[in-house]
Amino acid sequence: MAETNHHSFQMEQKFEPRSCRHLVDGRTYVLHCHHYAGLYTQLAEDCGVLDGKKLLAEVAEDTFYDVLSDHFQKYGVARIEDRLAAGEQYYRITGMGLLKVACAGPDYGEIALPSSHIDAGWLKKWGKSGKPVNHITRGFLAALFAAAFNRPRRSYTVTETASIASGAPESRFVVVTR
Amino acid sequence: MAINRKRIIESLSQVSVSANDQGLIPAFNVFVNQFPAALWNSFAERLTHRVNGDLLPAAEYLLVDAAHECGYHTGYGIITSEEWASVVGPMIENAPEDVLHGAFAVFTAWGWAKAEIVELVPGKRMVVRAYDYYEADSTRFGATRKPSAYMIRGVCSAFMDLAYGGPYDPTGKTALRTFECTQIKGIECGDDYGEFVVTPAAAA
Repeated sequence: MAETNHHSFQMEQKFEPRSCRHLVDGRTYVLHCHHYAGLYTQLAEDCGVLDGKKLLAEVAEDTFYDVLSDHFQKYGVARIEDRLAAGEQYYRITGMGLLKVACAGPDYGEIALPSSHIDAGWLKKWGKSGKPVNHITRGFLAALFAAAFNRPRRSYTVTETASIASGAPESRFVVVTR
Repeated sequence: MAINRKRIIESLSQVSVSANDQGLIPAFNVFVNQFPAALWNSFAERLTHRVNGDLLPAAEYLLVDAAHECGYHTGYGIITSEEWASVVGPMIENAPEDVLHGAFAVFTAWGWAKAEIVELVPGKRMVVRAYDYYEADSTRFGATRKPSAYMIRGVCSAFMDLAYGGPYDPTGKTALRTFECTQIKGIECGDDYGEFVVTPAAAA
């Protein structure tokens, strides 16, 4: 696979003084902390009535699919390796952690996460978890693969196979087409 | 009051956070993330519209509580930060009331909501108005009967905890949740602005 570290992620950021919003490529962005992300994740974990974990992953997929698809179109990012590199860089810029795509094809992918906002925050807040908790990253990866391979959303199933929050040295994810 | 809200917003809206070599943003005693607001809005709205009526109050409580904890810990990180000390600190004459006014200027500068205190009875009651806030984006046409500003409710309560709830408690066991907030108006409900009333928590 080609090197994926040569794409430089571009985006236009500005503070809009009238609304007092922070806009990135025209979208409203907001700063929150690991308490907020952790408690939303906890809420998703506890919400068994309507599968909150799936809900959170789908919300993340929808949000980041729009961001990444628009970015690829706006900045003319066409090559698969550049799209994946852009995804890795965007993930880091947002403070989600370090994401490394080990391999990727239209039907399958493997991803490593040496560091993670959700997991670091979970450990800081509650300590070790008995199970993987990074549903936002599951959604992000489903979005990245769908956008990178020109597929619609809900094209991929993402499974977290190792979890920093559960004691693993790094988190790992497997992406498989549905 | 010596708080120069305009100056605080102009100055602190330019503060940028950037990730370290681990892709994390440690700042203000927490790990910070910067996501599209749509992520938080979509989760809150899909959750509150999908749970049945009996569970709606519990779901809304948990959404507000997430912001309450976030606002408490991040708020404390902000008011003890170097940025605060250099920009807001010199304006404070009357603590904690000036601290509260300054905190809402920072709240505005960071894009959480264009909000200010319109009434403050120290230790007893605070009324906040928000003239623009991302949580109102959940309704793009018409008006909803369900107020949606869970984040603002939680953070308003948290700021009152920090001002009047006692010394900051990193565990959140003592001085957190001493206040609660009710949203009485909302842009998403067809009002010109959101309005939030904070009072001592019933169980506090």
